[in-house]
Formats: sequence, structure tokens, C-alpha cells
Amino acid sequence: MKIQINARNRAYNFDDASGDKILSIGLNRAIDLPYECGSGTCGTCKARLISGKIIDQWPEAPGRKYLKRKKGEFLMCQCAAETDLVIEVESFVHTMEAGACVPAAIKGRVGSAKLLTADVMSLQIELEQTVDFDAGQFMLVQFPDVAGFRGWSMVNYQRHARMVEFVIKKKPDGDLSNWIFNNNCEDVEVELFGPLGGATFYSRLAKNILCIAGGSGIAGIMSILSRAAQDGYFSQYNGDVFFGVRTMADTFFLDELSEFRRQCGDNLNITIVLSEEDAPASAQTDYPQLVFERGYVHEVAGQNMEGRFENIRAYLAGPPPLVNGAIGVLLRARVTTDNIRYDKFS
Amino acid sequence: MSWKKICAATEVPKNSLGKFVVDDIEVMIANYGEGYRAFPPRCPHMAEPLCESGMLFDGLLTCSKHLWQWDMKTGEKIGIAERELLFYDVKQEDDDIYANVAQELVYEDDDDEDEDDEGDEDFFNAD
Repeated sequence: MKIQINARNRAYNFDDASGDKILSIGLNRAIDLPYECGSGTCGTCKARLISGKIIDQWPEAPGRKYLKRKKGEFLMCQCAAETDLVIEVESFVHTMEAGACVPAAIKGRVGSAKLLTADVMSLQIELEQTVDFDAGQFMLVQFPDVAGFRGWSMVNYQRHARMVEFVIKKKPDGDLSNWIFNNNCEDVEVELFGPLGGATFYSRLAKNILCIAGGSGIAGIMSILSRAAQDGYFSQYNGDVFFGVRTMADTFFLDELSEFRRQCGDNLNITIVLSEEDAPASAQTDYPQLVFERGYVHEVAGQNMEGRFENIRAYLAGPPPLVNGAIGVLLRARVTTDNIRYDKFS
Repeated sequence: MSWKKICAATEVPKNSLGKFVVDDIEVMIANYGEGYRAFPPRCPHMAEPLCESGMLFDGLLTCSKHLWQWDMKTGEKIGIAERELLFYDVKQEDDDIYANVAQELVYEDDDDEDEDDEGDEDFFNAD
């Protein structure tokens, strides 16, 4: 099928026989189409059908609330071409830079699944082929018995990765998270698409970095810390990480974060922020490399960073109220928007 | 001209936003310190409700959905924003804020927004 995408700056034409979703097809051709969650929720990938027929594979997608359907708008992340298509994307669309990690469909198999807390699980997926991704990116993952893809950030970072690790939070009304928590996932074959996401870290950034994460949002931050540690980034630049959860029982990755601090030295400061209780005295004894505070993580980050916001790149990850709160803290501190990075999944 | 009282100046302190309804028209008021701006309460990008997503610091209005920004002093878009905000004329008289809301301002794509999904279920699949 012939697909033509008219963006504000130019048109893209290509043939496709895969029947995949339009967003996936375009991204796989290194066309940097607009998207954020890639999974039907945020509405960022909306486009307008000019001619042809499409199939909407998830008519109930929450992101459809952003659409003006009488004008033919649809979500590129959920719709596939049934005939030749001409569609219109309102924004400027460029091709990806040379060397970018171009998203692709990949098959994988769950290698290990282990509980990190009562409602957070680490999932390691072994891939059929190697994949390159940038620190801070995510992938869409689909399990065989549950419809739809979910976006999860990689915890690990390496070039030519044969394995990707994710952090899954159990959600009361989450079909997939319930399935994962209630079944033996090991050896289950899954489909992935990625890497995706623009909240990425590169060592050539040459700025101090500030990471504010809540709950499972720490996943992408772990990937960023991993790359920064591998590159010796904190020998020249400061890193401040604020990881918020409700209680001490909700914490995880404290050993791994302590190891980053040991490896990277005094320029990397990691603060664990509990919103509902004070950390027990044993926490500081058990994790002397970390600092424990009580409060809302974005507020604690704002107080701790006072006077240190210059030359900073901020990475945010977590529930929307946390991300919005952190954006407010950063704007108030006059951090420019090009130095605020996050991928909102809502 | 159709100047309508939107609110008392005290209802929108310096560096804050407020949403008000006048004659069934929703109007956002921004007090950016050196003056006021009045505009529809929707981001021109994805119609995000600016009463929830809007943030005002240092005279810059930011929609937190995708960090589009506008300079309240000049009224111009800045940074990655691709569309201008529409503004009502606004003025302060004594202790009250007035805006010229003769007609509701709508963005080009919003003029016939479909609130009702009924009847167009087969839109994309119609032969």
C-alpha cells in the first residue's frame, strides 16, 4: 500500500505491505513522527485522514479524547492502512539524525521475573536479535494473552543489547500488570517495538544532570545513570537523583543506586524521598551512600537544588502529578524547557 | 466592542492564572506582573485545558503537556510552540479586570468540535 504523510514542512511517501500501525511504519523508516506514549493514551500522534481507509485497532483508546473525529483525526499508534492513504500531520516532521536508534519490531522471551516490592516487579526480556537504544528510552511490549502494547522504560544500558530489563508496577485495573503478577511469566514469548522516547542522555551533553523520579519511573533514570557511570561522566559533571516512593517498604534498587554512588564518587548525590513516613534509622546504616528524606520528591528536589539549577539538564519520570510538580519547580527556577525532558504516558 | 467584567483583580494575584465564565464563555486571565492577558482556556496544540496544564512564571505561560510556551508580555509563541495563542483585549478599571468577549475565540480546528461520538462509529470504515 502507498502511504503519503503530509507534514507541515514536507511530504513523505513510502510503500508498505506489513499492515503494521502507521506510527510504527513511519518510525521504522526513520521518519520522526510525533508521538509520546506510542500506546494509545496521550494523543500526541494524532493525524488527519485525507483519503483512503484505515483500520482502528483500538477504538476505545483513551487518547481518542483528543481527536476531532468528524475532521477525520485518528491515532497513528493505533491505526493501520487498509487502502492507499494520504494523511496529514499538523506539526513539522523531520527524518531522524544519522546514528539515531531507529525503532523496529523485535521478538523476545521473558528470561526472568522477580518481585522488587509487593507491587513492583523486575522483568528481564531476552531478545532474538541485538538492539541499540539510548539511555532513557522505552519500548512497547505486548504479551500474547493481553491485548495491546504497553510502554516500559529500559533499566539497563548497553550497545548491542541482547537483553532489556523493565520495571512493572502492579495496577489495580491494569490487565497486563495483573496478568504478569498472577502468572508465571518466564519463557513467555513477547513482541516489542522500539526503542522510543526523547528523554535521552548522551555524554556529550556536557551539563549537570538532575533526575526526579517516582516509583517505577526510576527505570529510565537507572539507564541514564548506567550510561553516565560507564562513560565516567560524573568526573566532570554533577548528578543529583531524587527517587520518591511512599514508604521504606516501597523502595527498590537501593543496592544498585549505592553501587552507582560508590562507582561515581561525590559528584553523584542520590536522595531517597519517602512521602508517607520517615526513613527508619537502619536505612542510613544499611545504605550509607544514600541520603533519606521525607516529603514530596519534587519539593525535596527543589529545596535541595536551590542555587544549583544553572547549566542543568533535568530528567523527569513518574506519575503525572509528580512530573507536573517537577516541571513547576524547574520553571520557577528558570530552567529552560529545552533542558526539561520527560515522556508522559498519559 | 463588548467589554465584560471577568473578575476582580484580587482574584488573580501576580504570577497566577484564573479561569472564569462570562456569558457561558470560558476565559483565562493571566496576571504576569506587568499586566493581564485574557485568552481561551485551551492549549492551541491539543486543546489541553490550560486551567490544569498551564503554568505562569517570569511572564511565560507554559502548557505542561508538551512544554509549549508563550510570552505574556509580547503575546508571542516562543521555544517549540508552533501556534499562537488567541487573545481577548483586556483592561483593568479600578479593581476589576475586563475583557472584550463579544464572541468566543476558537482555534481554527476547534470550531466544529465533535462532542458526541454517536453516529460516526463507522467513519473510517465507511465504503
